[in-house]
Amino acid sequence: MANTFPRWSNLLPLKIAFCVLAVAAGVTVAFTYYATPKAQVVGYQPSQPIPFSHKIHVDQVGMDCRYCHSFVDVSGHSNLPTGNTCWNCHQHVQRESPKLAPLRKSMDPAFAGYDGKPIEWVRIHKSPDFVKFNHSAHVNRGISCVSCHGRIDQMEVVFQDQNQSMGWCLDCHRAPETQLRPLEQVYNMKYDAAQYLKDHPQAGAKTPAEFGLKLKEQFRVSPKTTCATCHH
Amino acid sequence: MSKRTWNHPAVSADESTVAWRSAGQLEDSAEFRHWLEREFPQGAAEMADAGDADVSRRSFLKLMGASTALAGLGMAACRRPESYIVPFTKAPEWVIPGKATYYASSMPRANGATPLVVTSFEGRPTKVAPNHLHPDADGTDAFAQASVLDLYSPSRSRKFLRVGKATTRGEFEPVIAALAVDKSAKIGFLFGADDSPTRNRLRKELAAKFGSAKFYQYEALTGESAVALGDGVQWVADFAKADRILSLDCDFAGTDPQGPVKGFFDRRKPEGGGYAKAAEVAKMNRLYAVEAAYTLTGGMADHRLRVAPSQVLTVAAEIARGIISNTALVSEIPALTDKKQIAWVQGVIKDLKDNPGKSLVLAGSRQPAALHHLALAINLVLGNIAANKPLTAVQTETAGLGNLASLKTDIDAGTIETLVLLTPSNPIYDALPDLKFGESFAKLKTSIHLGQRCDATAHASTWHVPAAHYLESWADARTCRGTYTAVQPMILPLYPDCVSELEILLALLSDDGKLLNGEGPKGEASPAYGAVRATFSALAGAGDEPWKKFLRDGFADGHAYTPVMPKTATSAASDIAKAKAPVPTPQALEIVFSTDSSVFDGRWIDNGWLQEAPDPISKLTWDNAALIAPLTAKNLGIYDLIISPEPVTRVLGIESTYGKSYPDGEGGNRRSPMIRVVVNGTTLDIPVLISFGQAENTLVIPLGYGQGCDDDDELKRSTANAAHVGRVGVNRGFNAYPLRNAGSPYFATGATAKKTAAVYSIAVTQEHSAMYGRALAREVSTIDDAKLGSFEHQLANVKKQGNDAHAPPNLPLYQQKGSATWHPDKDGKAPDFLSDTLHQWGMAIDLSACMGCNACLVACQAENNIPIVGKEQVAKGREMHWIRMDRYFATQKDNDFDADNPALVPQPVACLQCELAPCETVCPVNATVHTEDGLNAMAYNRCIGTRYCANNCPYKVRRFNFFDYNKRNPLIAHNLYKGPLGEKQVGEAPHLQRNPNVTVRMRGVMEKCTYCVQRLKDAVIRQKRAPKQEALAAGKPSTEMTVTAETLRIPVDSVRTACQDACPATAITFGNLLDEEKSALGRAKRLERSYDLLNYIGTRPRTSYLARVKNPNPDMPDARFIGKATIHMA
Repeated sequence: MANTFPRWSNLLPLKIAFCVLAVAAGVTVAFTYYATPKAQVVGYQPSQPIPFSHKIHVDQVGMDCRYCHSFVDVSGHSNLPTGNTCWNCHQHVQRESPKLAPLRKSMDPAFAGYDGKPIEWVRIHKSPDFVKFNHSAHVNRGISCVSCHGRIDQMEVVFQDQNQSMGWCLDCHRAPETQLRPLEQVYNMKYDAAQYLKDHPQAGAKTPAEFGLKLKEQFRVSPKTTCATCHH
Repeated sequence: MSKRTWNHPAVSADESTVAWRSAGQLEDSAEFRHWLEREFPQGAAEMADAGDADVSRRSFLKLMGASTALAGLGMAACRRPESYIVPFTKAPEWVIPGKATYYASSMPRANGATPLVVTSFEGRPTKVAPNHLHPDADGTDAFAQASVLDLYSPSRSRKFLRVGKATTRGEFEPVIAALAVDKSAKIGFLFGADDSPTRNRLRKELAAKFGSAKFYQYEALTGESAVALGDGVQWVADFAKADRILSLDCDFAGTDPQGPVKGFFDRRKPEGGGYAKAAEVAKMNRLYAVEAAYTLTGGMADHRLRVAPSQVLTVAAEIARGIISNTALVSEIPALTDKKQIAWVQGVIKDLKDNPGKSLVLAGSRQPAALHHLALAINLVLGNIAANKPLTAVQTETAGLGNLASLKTDIDAGTIETLVLLTPSNPIYDALPDLKFGESFAKLKTSIHLGQRCDATAHASTWHVPAAHYLESWADARTCRGTYTAVQPMILPLYPDCVSELEILLALLSDDGKLLNGEGPKGEASPAYGAVRATFSALAGAGDEPWKKFLRDGFADGHAYTPVMPKTATSAASDIAKAKAPVPTPQALEIVFSTDSSVFDGRWIDNGWLQEAPDPISKLTWDNAALIAPLTAKNLGIYDLIISPEPVTRVLGIESTYGKSYPDGEGGNRRSPMIRVVVNGTTLDIPVLISFGQAENTLVIPLGYGQGCDDDDELKRSTANAAHVGRVGVNRGFNAYPLRNAGSPYFATGATAKKTAAVYSIAVTQEHSAMYGRALAREVSTIDDAKLGSFEHQLANVKKQGNDAHAPPNLPLYQQKGSATWHPDKDGKAPDFLSDTLHQWGMAIDLSACMGCNACLVACQAENNIPIVGKEQVAKGREMHWIRMDRYFATQKDNDFDADNPALVPQPVACLQCELAPCETVCPVNATVHTEDGLNAMAYNRCIGTRYCANNCPYKVRRFNFFDYNKRNPLIAHNLYKGPLGEKQVGEAPHLQRNPNVTVRMRGVMEKCTYCVQRLKDAVIRQKRAPKQEALAAGKPSTEMTVTAETLRIPVDSVRTACQDACPATAITFGNLLDEEKSALGRAKRLERSYDLLNYIGTRPRTSYLARVKNPNPDMPDARFIGKATIHMA
């Protein structure tokens, strides 16, 4: 009887199985990395050219978010402060601190290394180009900074607090009452709904959940979930 | 399973209208029908050019292998790349990151500047729109819309040239400095035909400084109207006051403007502008057009007579005989002999005489002075010329300038040795050949050319200076009525060497001749700023307040031109007698040198948006061709060649005649036969196309093409001028300028044409994405018809035209308020299933006003980041325009007046946002879904490119990215097929024009119109600030406020789509359907003449159309054939 299969073919099934397994393992690793929250980089905390502390500025000094992020309620982007916003105070405060050298480099003509070039802050929250997120649409309707960025006022170095995936967006768009606040409290980092209700009793809203629903009704908040809401 | 086809019922036997798009369709060949039944045009859906040997399967695999390897190199992308946010150091005023700023400016041009509002994102101007605040606001045309692309054009001139060779600014500066100190210089200045008060002021200063300075004006296609009117005098028509308009070869709505046309188009609507009143025939105007070939204006005409351009004078003389008393003026012109034409003319005469002081007779600027004399005489007798009458003549400030002929004489005489060329035209290329301007030009000691393109004149001049774009420079301008209008920069010159016209004049005026441009080293403003401000102060008052208001509004009111009363010139009789010309015959054809709707006189040849915009009449892109009437073509024996040219198929790169031939109008293999035209002793080989409604024995050849060819040229023409054009304009079309001579600048008689063996590939879009169905575009007439009844009856029947007469009513799937299946509960509170009770968007397109001018198409391209795809791809039917401008011809079977003069019906079609959209149900990945506010949305990031949706779209409005047009340069031959090895988009600038609020689409993604959803979102979100403002104003905590729908709903008619904004004819109305009659849209939707396109298939589109209303004169011999051009495509 002829030997149909040569000798080397004995190992072939094993080789094939090995290759298939290797490919499958690669796919699994890639999938785990890219299609799970790992890829959404929660906790991404790059070091910035100036170790700016939100804790000092917001929590201790008591500055409002809008002192620096001044167009957050009028524009889609929340702007970063321009050099002169920082320099307004820091030409008087902590001017000689070595940590502020990059600021002086861009703002202070008397500084040795002055070049007038803007500071390059490292971007932390990045939505893809096809997502058109609009800050003003949210902060003007009772969604606080905290909902998406976490307790920035407690952060020495800012990190990404929420995964900001599409599913995460939709969770809130489907149930905005979980995040709604009175418009005056949007920039209040320390807002606590239960405490607020205690201080400002509301008719027909005893619990924070009821309060959210009441605000949703009263503000006529009906977030959309169709594609063109964010993609166009 | 074969594709299910809709069996349209046969067109009823008594249907008298025959409609078609192309000659191929009119002939109804078998190939044509095969073409029609395809989802995409031939070849559009094939992976690669099948005949293209260099992209075989094998080379494709090679490329794929290479790209995989490159992908491996890119594994570094596993880690999130660090990106930076770079805020300003010192924040500029008004700049809010992410928000557009809007500035009032204007585009200077001959016949008056176009007032604009420019959208600027973080300092990048991206889009222009008309300034509706301006008293002379008038929409924009395609040229104004496309002008923003020139700013970022990769082929824009950015370096100094010395005799055609690159040089530096440092080399040029001593030249201008030496010139500035030489007060005895024999210097000449050649301006364009636009009017700028600051330039006029500097002109006087230059004349004072340089004793022998002379000033000239030149643009290639300006005409001879000044001979009749006087130097620097121009007409301004007020169309709102004109009940009857006679256009004598005057394309006033298109390339030959005579004043703002908004009034004209408002009166094309029986209900008036904004649809505020009930339909009233008496309020409509009536347009008579006498012209050779269809123009945008001719397409709007109620009565149109087609005659050769040389015979327009004969018709005008006949009309003049019936109106003016001094008939000796026209005694030399023979009377009309054709009985039909005589009857037509008599009808016009009677109608004009019945409406004295309320009519307009307009002569085309391209016509000889004789016709302008006649038009003036007729208007004078009719009493049309006065301040409160339809026509005014105004004295512009361009008087006293020499022309190109006097410039040549002065150069030859040695009185001009240095010439500064500031005209936007290109005299070395477009001057009349028998003037031999080039020979004199070479005698100049120094010639300084300022231009945005390195064109023929730039290369011929001793110095070429790159010009700043009008969006980069300080200047001022006057509109057609003379309103003083701002031109302010949005951005510093993109390239540091670019200089504006005023800056060069100011350098010459300065003591040291130092050329200052853009911003000074310490941030000081351009000297042009000071000059404009000085002009403004003298004119409208000093101080900051008037200046700030001027910059904000874009104009200063009350400083218009002074009207003058023109008189019949003494030379009138002799000019008229001289202009007599014989009637053309097949042996002695007449050539019409027409202004091109894409390149104008040739200056826009490097603008990709304009090149790719199909010609409104011929639907030709990227080239020009000779146009010929079908009967003339038959007489010359070339008709069959055009309809079914030599079939060409390429198999393995070898051209063979095997395979199918393609009918007129389509296909990547479409070839057009070339003819040899001989006129004035000059020969031109040019492809030929059939054109309907054109006068017999005429050939129309658009000017401005053929400026330069390189090695890729299909016909292997001389590459000597390759450097004169950029990537877009190279190898494009055929240069007809050499055919002209001084006696025949705009039309020439005695031409011959014969066929040649050559063929040329052309890209015509007339059959691309063609719909078929019944009563697509509907038309009614204001006069009674034996069969169709009275105007009222015809209006009431609009909704029942075509299949809609017997189709059952559309029952919506879902019960919606107002629908037949909706039943209120006992308490009347049944849900109306409107998921958004604030906004429901809708659009109405008024075919009564639409002239098919492409302004919307180009505006959409600018707003929505739509790429150009290049000629090769357009030929395959892959153009990306979201708005398709359909253009139909229709004639009556029993038309015995002139059966070869069909009606022209344009119909813009973009996505109609069907409520029951067929595309949505077939998408396997839900990439196209409906939004709560009634849009048919496209989620580009979700699309996987199955193209099922396009297949299922009955309106064929979806466009597919067959290639990554944004990343690979489609203008290089075969470049798209080279994948990652192909050349990338050239230049560093094109992406700067992009609208940041619209996703730039990648390869393999479907796209289409979404009513400018980014503008809608912006308006809605802006309105969301209102509750907070209210709470603040009331001083109450927000928890005590109740937000109402009125707070969150955007104000009535406050958001405009890009196409609507651009439309000079106000044909597009957009708005919130829930505003009902408060909005123009709500009123338009309730009109009797509102109908849905392909209503009988039940898609419930949100865009509806308003039937076209023609207002014929019952006394005219052709009246009963007018107003019946309802388009059936079966």
